[in-house]
This record gives sequence, C-alpha cells and structure tokens, in this order.
Amino acid sequence: MIPLRRFLHTPEAIAGAILLTALFAMALSASLLFPGDPQAIAGPALLPPFQDWSLPLGTDRLGRDVLAELFHGARTSLAVGLAAAAAALAVGAVVGTLAGFAGGLVDEMLMRTTDAFQTVPSFLLALAFVSVVGPSLGVVVIAIALGTWTGPARVARAEVLSIRERDYVASARAVGMHPLEIAFREVLPNALPPVLAMSSVIVAAAILTEAALSFLGLGDPNRVTWGGMISEGRAVLRTAPFLSIVPGIALVLTVLGIYLAGEGIVETTAVRRGLS
Amino acid sequence: MSLLAVSNLTKRYRRGGKTVTAVDDVSFHIEPGETLALAGPSGSGKSTIARLALRLIEPDAGGIEFEGDDFLALSGSPLRARRARLQMVFQDPLAAFNPRATVARVLDDPLRIHGIASRSERPRRIAALLERVGLSAGLAPRAIHEISGGQRQRVAIARAIATKPSLIVLDEALSALDVSVRGQILDLLLDLQRQERIAYLFISHDLGVVRTIAHRVVLLDGGRIAESGDARAIIDAPQSAVGKALVAATPRLNRSIGP
Repeated sequence: MIPLRRFLHTPEAIAGAILLTALFAMALSASLLFPGDPQAIAGPALLPPFQDWSLPLGTDRLGRDVLAELFHGARTSLAVGLAAAAAALAVGAVVGTLAGFAGGLVDEMLMRTTDAFQTVPSFLLALAFVSVVGPSLGVVVIAIALGTWTGPARVARAEVLSIRERDYVASARAVGMHPLEIAFREVLPNALPPVLAMSSVIVAAAILTEAALSFLGLGDPNRVTWGGMISEGRAVLRTAPFLSIVPGIALVLTVLGIYLAGEGIVETTAVRRGLS
Repeated sequence: MSLLAVSNLTKRYRRGGKTVTAVDDVSFHIEPGETLALAGPSGSGKSTIARLALRLIEPDAGGIEFEGDDFLALSGSPLRARRARLQMVFQDPLAAFNPRATVARVLDDPLRIHGIASRSERPRRIAALLERVGLSAGLAPRAIHEISGGQRQRVAIARAIATKPSLIVLDEALSALDVSVRGQILDLLLDLQRQERIAYLFISHDLGVVRTIAHRVVLLDGGRIAESGDARAIIDAPQSAVGKALVAATPRLNRSIGP
C-alpha cells in the first residue's frame, strides 16, 4: 500500500485521519456505549462536566447525558453529511456529464437551471425547503443536496468538454456505441477525479448546514444533533456555557478533520500524478 | 459499384471570425478489397476526411455513398448499426482506448453492441480475435496501459475487425510505432486484407509505407486533391508540386528510384 504510506507522510493528513477515525468510532459505538434513548433523563439537570464520572460531560437543562447526546449526534452529523454530499455529487456529476456531452440545447437548459440554483443562497434554499416539506432526516439531506449539487455539476461539465474530444470517445462512436452509454461508461468515470476532489469540502459544508438547520429548530426532532444541542444550550449560555461549547468543539474538530483528510488525499494523488 | 464513393466533400471550420476550408471539393472512391492511400503534408485535410468518412464529424457539402446507400442520410440506430461495416484504427494507440479499459472490455464492446456473440460466447470470440492479430489470448484481462504500443495497435486492429467490416480507415495507424513493429503490423494488415477482403482507407504522410501497401493514392494539398492514381506510378514520378516535395522528403525512396 504505497499510496497509504504516502498519505500518512503528511502531518495534516495524519491529524485528519485521526480526527475522522475518532468521529467514526463515536458514531459506530454510540448504541453500544449508550444503549437506550439518548434523549432520556439520566440524572440531575445542569450537572457540570467532570463532576460525576457516570456522567462525565454533565447533563443539560432536562438532565440528559451530554456525552450520550454527543455520541448519538455524531451519527446524525455523519449520516447527513455523507448522504447529502453523495446525493449532491451524484446529481452534479450526471447533470454535468449530460450537459457537457450533449451540448447545444440540452447543455443550455441544464446549465441555466444550474445558474438558477446557484443564484439562490444554498442555506436559504435548504431553510425554505425544510420549512415547507417538514423536518425529517431525509428531507434535510435533500435540502442540503439541493444547494450543493451545482459545484460538482460545473466541474464535471468542464472536464467532460475536454474528454469528449479525445480519440477514445471517437472510437466508441465509431464502434457504434449508444451516446448515453458513451456518456456514462466512457466519459463520466474519467471525469470523476476532479469532482471527487470536491467531496471533502462538500461533506464539511453539509455537516455545517445540517447543524445550522438544527440550531434553527429545523432538524429531525426525533434525533439528537449537535446543532440542536448548541441551540438547547443557548438558553443557559451564561450559567452553563459547556452545553454549547462541547458540541461546538465536536463540530469544529469534525469539519477540521474532514478538510485535513481531504487535503491529504488531494496531496497524495497530486504527488502520484507528478511522478508518473 | 464502389464500396465507398465520396463526392465533392467540403468541410469548413470557423476560427475567430475566419473560415478555414479544411477539405475542399474532394471526390474519390474505394473498391472492395482495395487499399486507397490519402497522403499529404500535415494540415492537408487527411484526418478530417477520415473523420468525415466515418461520420464522426458532418460535412458542409458533398455526398458519401457506402455499400450502395447514402451514408449521410442515416442517423440514430440505423447509423450505429451500419458502423459495424466501417471501422477505424487511430494513430495514437494509447489515446484511442478508454484509460480504464482492459483488453477484454475493448473487444467485448463491438461484439455486444452489434449482437455478434452471446454473453457466454464472447470470451471465446475475444480469445479468437486476439489470436487472429497475433496476440496471446492471455492478454485479455490486462489493462490497456499495461501492454506495449505495438500490442495496443494490434488490439485496435482486433477491435476493428470484430464486426467483420468491409472497410477500415487507418488514420496514420503506423506512424506512432517504431520501425520494427511497423513492419509486423503492416504484414498483419496485408494478411487480413488478403483473407477477409477488407478495403483500407490508408492515411499517411509516409510515402514509403504508402508505396508498399496502397493500390491507388490520392495526394492532398491544402484540402484539395493535387493528384491521384496508381500508387507506384505517382510516387515514382510525381507531377504535382506537393507530390515532388513529399517524395523528396523521403530519402529512402529517393535512393531507390534514382536515375
């Protein structure tokens, strides 16, 4: 595994990998370490951290275990972040490929639609969508994807415009391949690398958007979210600031970890390209 | 009846307000089993004609008749079906394949698209195709970028003959290969032509190779036909300025035809 070793040679990549590993460990172990409902009352209200070692990070206004909430919140953050980014990348790559490959009227229509989505601030779009359709995990994922697919679409289209002039696309046509098969089997896979390079930024942005939506009370009410926890803690910010600070730090470390790991991956592939 | 008859073909490009005529009123025909060479300096429109003949780009004027039908009138699925009869081998054997492809996938595509062999039968057909072009059947699972340039060009030829075409356009198909490999590929092409009666539209700037493989030659200059006729006669005694220049640029030939 030479690429892995090269990946681990950059300090920021190691830091990112450690943060991400911790995050995934939290998300995966949430229901093992904290079985039962994280929103259930576990002790006295507003217990400060590091007082009672059965509740290491204390409790919130209603007496819920902050550590359990943090672990279960990692699940929501990761699930929404990854699902929204995957949806945005998939839609963006398909739209960009069709626009770039078909050209003409199809290109014009798809790219003007992309423009229309880009002119609306993506957070407002998500906000409006969730308030109309109603808050649930799936809706939040769609709402975030709605505002983020345009970037991948533009990058994919630009890449496809250069790829479609290559000889192997001409030879696929000469063989008699259907244009849709050429677009999705010959062109799209080769246009993907620069699109995938955007994924870390998109995942990080999606996690932040999800937190912001939850903070405004538009998250899934049946799930613990970090944004919701910060929002809860806001009411007692003067007396119990740790209730906002703990999930806030978790959010910062998560986004930082994703950026650093993404940067490390880009760096690794760049070195490999430089060598060949 | 000619296999391919091109009449008054014209193609113009617009570049920054200027119109460049890449192919200007070109007519020629190819008979079944014959090799016609298109030769000329770079920029003379050879490759544009190849792409026009394959309908990879559309002409501005002129007609193309292939196997007795108006080739320009076809579109959509009938056009894709007819492409089986008219194949192409590109100059750069690396650029002509999807960088992610394996040898097997490259050869599987034409067999699948034109319904030539069933899924279970295809691995055997692929092995047979590889052997037909002088490669080992064991090459099938290898990635395209893992094999040598000469092997790649053989795979390109295997892909071209997979659909049993009547005409193969060879666009500088030997130019990117080194000299020893070039001779082997040339022999393979001649052997295929003898056995399957495939006609070649052979595009080249190398009159030495043209003289060995082509029956007739069309010399192009600036998108127009400078002269055309029997390959040996023209190369031994070119009449046009471009023909003389091309022959003079081939030192090997100069010596062999000396006074």
